[in-house]
Amino acid sequence: MLDTTTLPDLGETAAPDGGPAPRPLKARRNRGDRIFFGGVTLSGLVVLSIMVAVGLFLAIQASQALRSTGLSFLTTSEWQPDRGKFGIASVLLGTVLIALVAVSIALPISMATALFITEVAPTWLRSSLVALVDLMAAVPSVVYGLWGLFLLEGQLIPVSRWVNTFFGWLPFFKVVGADPNSPLSSASVYTASAFIAGVVVAMMVMPIQCVVMREVFSQVPVGEREGAFALGSTRWGMVRVVSIPFGRGGIIGGTMLGLGRALGETIAVLLIISPRFDINFHVLEAGGNSVSSLIALRYSEASGFGLSALMAAGLALFAVTLVVNFTASWFVARSRSGAGSEA
Amino acid sequence: MTRRASLRVIAVLLIGLVVTLGALPTSPVAAAYQRISGEGSSWAANAIDAMRVNVRQFGITVDYNPSGSTSGRKNFLNGTVDFAASDIPFQFHPEDGSAPENPAPDSYAYIPVVAGGTSFMYNLKINGKRVTNLRLSGQNVAKIFTGVVKMWNDPAIQADNPGLVMPARAVVPVVRSDGSGSSAQFTKWMISRFPSIWTTYCQKSGRAPACGFTSFYPTIPGMISQSGDLGIAGYVSQGFAEGAIGYVNYSYALGSQFPVAKVLNAAGFYTAPTPQNVAVSLLKAKINTDASNPEVYLTQNLDGVYTDTDPRNYQLSSYSYLIVPTKVAGQFNLAKGETLGAFAYYAMCQAQQQSESLGYSPMPINLVQASFDQIRKIPGVVVQNIDIKQCKNPTFSTDGTNTVAKTAAQPLACDKQGGVTQCPNGTGGMSNVPTAVKPGAPTGGGATTTLPVRSSGGGGGGATTTVVRGDTGGSTPTGGTTPTGGTTPTGGTTLDGGSTVDTTPGAVGGDGSSGDGSSGDGSQQGGDGATAGVVVGDAMPTTLSQSHASLPLVLLVVVLTLSLILAPAFAWRYFTNRRTT
Repeated sequence: MLDTTTLPDLGETAAPDGGPAPRPLKARRNRGDRIFFGGVTLSGLVVLSIMVAVGLFLAIQASQALRSTGLSFLTTSEWQPDRGKFGIASVLLGTVLIALVAVSIALPISMATALFITEVAPTWLRSSLVALVDLMAAVPSVVYGLWGLFLLEGQLIPVSRWVNTFFGWLPFFKVVGADPNSPLSSASVYTASAFIAGVVVAMMVMPIQCVVMREVFSQVPVGEREGAFALGSTRWGMVRVVSIPFGRGGIIGGTMLGLGRALGETIAVLLIISPRFDINFHVLEAGGNSVSSLIALRYSEASGFGLSALMAAGLALFAVTLVVNFTASWFVARSRSGAGSEA
Repeated sequence: MTRRASLRVIAVLLIGLVVTLGALPTSPVAAAYQRISGEGSSWAANAIDAMRVNVRQFGITVDYNPSGSTSGRKNFLNGTVDFAASDIPFQFHPEDGSAPENPAPDSYAYIPVVAGGTSFMYNLKINGKRVTNLRLSGQNVAKIFTGVVKMWNDPAIQADNPGLVMPARAVVPVVRSDGSGSSAQFTKWMISRFPSIWTTYCQKSGRAPACGFTSFYPTIPGMISQSGDLGIAGYVSQGFAEGAIGYVNYSYALGSQFPVAKVLNAAGFYTAPTPQNVAVSLLKAKINTDASNPEVYLTQNLDGVYTDTDPRNYQLSSYSYLIVPTKVAGQFNLAKGETLGAFAYYAMCQAQQQSESLGYSPMPINLVQASFDQIRKIPGVVVQNIDIKQCKNPTFSTDGTNTVAKTAAQPLACDKQGGVTQCPNGTGGMSNVPTAVKPGAPTGGGATTTLPVRSSGGGGGGATTTVVRGDTGGSTPTGGTTPTGGTTPTGGTTLDGGSTVDTTPGAVGGDGSSGDGSSGDGSQQGGDGATAGVVVGDAMPTTLSQSHASLPLVLLVVVLTLSLILAPAFAWRYFTNRRTT
C-alpha cells in the first residue's frame, strides 16, 4: 500500500499520531494529471450517485405502499397488495434462508477450490481450472435455474429425505407432511424448497467467492510459506498456519460478496421455488419465497399500487444488501489480508 | 510467415467460421411486415406459437411471451405489447380483491382464437405402472384442489375408479403461481358447481371475504405453485412428482405425454377434454352477441357448458381470446396494425386446421365470421375477403353445424358412472397406453390395500383381458411380456391404436386375485377380495417426459464442452511458454 504518497487535495492528510505535522506537499498537476483526476473522480461520483438514485427511486416509488401499511409491512406475511394486506415478513425470511443455504454450501466448496488452485494444483492445470471457475460465473442464471429444475431437483430429493430422516428433530430440518417410514410417501414435500433453490444459487455464488479467495491466497508471501515448509510443516500445515490466516479478510469478503449475490438471485429461484406466503423456517419443505423472485413473478401483472408494494419489497432488499455489503467491507477493513502476518 | 503469425491467421479464420455459422440460420425472408409482439395466456400458447411459426413464411414476425393472461392484459393496457391473449376478458369488477382493469372504451376488441379444455394432468403410478385412465367427479376435482382430499386412496376417489386400486399416496395439487386465465376459468367453474367447497377453502387460505373467481389461485401449505402451464406440466411430469395433479391446457398434457383425468359430466359420463368433446361442450357456451358493446362482445358465458347433459360434454371447456387494439396509440401504429391484421386472419382461418393436432378445438363458423368483422377494426389492417370455405376449418359444414361436434364419438359405456369397472383406455398424451382394470365389484372393504402382495391363483372362470404392449423400453423387471389378470367386462377391447389387446380366456379367481404368476414383477394385487387383480401387463417407459439421449451424443457434448473449456487454457499456456522461452 502506497498510502504515504497521497496528495493533500484528497483530504487524507492523516498525520501519524503524536509526530510533528508533515510538511505540506504542493504538487502542481499537469494537464494529463488533471484529466485523469477529473475522470476518476467523476466515475467515483457516478457510482455513488447511481446508488443514491436507486435508493431514492425505490423509496419514492414505495412511499405510496409504505404509507398505507406503515410498520405492519415488516410483520405481515401475506401478499395481496390490492386488498391492503401485504408485507415482507415471509418473503424476506425466505430470501435470507435461501441465501444462507447457498452460502453455507458455497463457502466450503469455493474455499477448497481456491486452495486447490493456489496450493495444490500443478502449474499447467491452474489456468484451466481458473478458466473453468470463471466459466461457471459466466453461465446465465436461467441456465442454472433450468438445470436445477430439471436435473438437480430430482437428484437432491434423496439428500433432503436423508437429512430430514436423521436430523428432522432439528426444527430447521423438519418437513411437514413427510413420512420417512412410508414407501409411498410423496417426494413432493421435498421439492421446490428453499434448500434446492439454495443449492442452485450456491453454484452461482461459488465462482465469485472462489475468485476473491484465490486472489488472496495467491498473495500469500512466499517467504512465509517457505518458512513454514522449512520448519518442517506439511502442506496442510502450511495452509492452515499461513494461507488461511493470511487470507481471512478475503475469505470473509468473498463470502459476504457471495451472500449479496445470493440475496438478489432472481430467475433461478423463480424457476425452482413454489411461492408460499407464510412464515416457514423449514428449509427442506416444499415452498419458499424470495423478494427478487416475487418481484419478477408479480411486476408484470401488478396494478399501480401493487407495483408500489413491490418497490417497497425491493427497497427492503436493497437495504438488506447494503447492510450485508457494509458489514463485509467493515470485516475486510478490520482484518485486511495479511494484516496478521505482516505485523 | 512466422509460426505465430500463421497461428493467428488460423485463429482469425476459425472465429470467422464460427461467426458465419452462427449467422446462417438467422437470415429470414426480407420482412415486409413490421415486427409485432404479444403477451398473455400460456393456456393458448401452444396454438399461438404454432401460428407464429407458420406465419413466418409470409415474412410476418410475431413475438409472443406466454407469461399468463393477467400479465398479457396488464401489458396491453400499459401499451408495451401490440396485442394480448387472454382466457378471460378485462376485469372491470374483479371479484377477488385485485385492482380493476380499466381499458379505454373502444380501444380494443376481442377475437376468440382457440378453444380447448382445462385438463387435469396427473402423475400417478400403481405398483410402478403409470395410471392412464383416472376418472374424477367434479366434486373430487374441487376437493383435490382445495386440500380436502389428501390421499389418492380416499374413498371418494376410489369410488370414481372402481377398476383401480388407488394407492395410499398423498395428493399434491399443483396450481398456478402467476396471474392466470386458467385459474380464473377453473375457480369460476368451482364456484358455479361447488360453492361451499370453494368458500370454505377461500376462508382457510386467508383470501376471504374476496372469494369470487380469481386469476391468482390461493394456496395452502402442501400445494405446489408453478408459473405458467409449462411450469405445472414440467413439475407434474417429473419422476419425483408422483401423486401430483395440476391444471393445464390439454395440449400440454399431449406435449408432456402424460395422461389427464376424465371428469364426470352432468350426463353421468367421465370424459376427457379431447378437441371433439370440447367442440361439443362449447355448443352450449353463450357468446355475447351485443356488437354495440365492445366490453362484452364475443365474450363467453360458460354456465350452460357446466350443466350440459350431452354425454360427450367436458365441463371445463372454454375459449381463449386475442385482445387487439382498435386505435393507434403509443407504440402501436398502422404498420403494426397491418401485421397484426394479417396474423389474425391467418389465426382465424388457416391456423384452425391444425388446432386438433395440437390438442385444441377449432373455432366454429359463427365465431370465425364474427372474428373477421373484429379484425376489420384493427387500424391499418389490409382487409381480406376470405372465402370462409377455403379456410378448410374442420368444423365447417354446408348446413352451418359444427362438424367436429357432430361427428364426435359418444363415450364408451365403460365411462359411465356407476359401472362395476372402468375403461382401460389411456387419455391425453398417453391415449395409446391403456391401464388394465380389475373386474369389478365397486370398492369393497379391501380398497385400501395398497402394497403389492402376491397371491396364489384362485379358481373360477371368466375372461381375462391381457394387455400387452409391444415396446420393451422402460422397466419391466422380468423382461418380455407380463401376462396378468384383470377383466374388463365392457370396454376392454376398445382400445385405440398403438397397443395390442389380447383377450384370452383365463382364470380369474373368485376372490379376485389373478393367478398368473408373472415371475416377480410385483404387479400382482393380492390381499382380500375386491382389491385384487389390478394389473397392468405393460412395460411403461418410466421417464416419458425426458428424452433419452444416445450415448454417442452425450460423449460428443462432453468432449466438445471440455475442449471448449480447456482449449483457451492450453492455448494461453502455449503462448506464454513460447514468449518466455
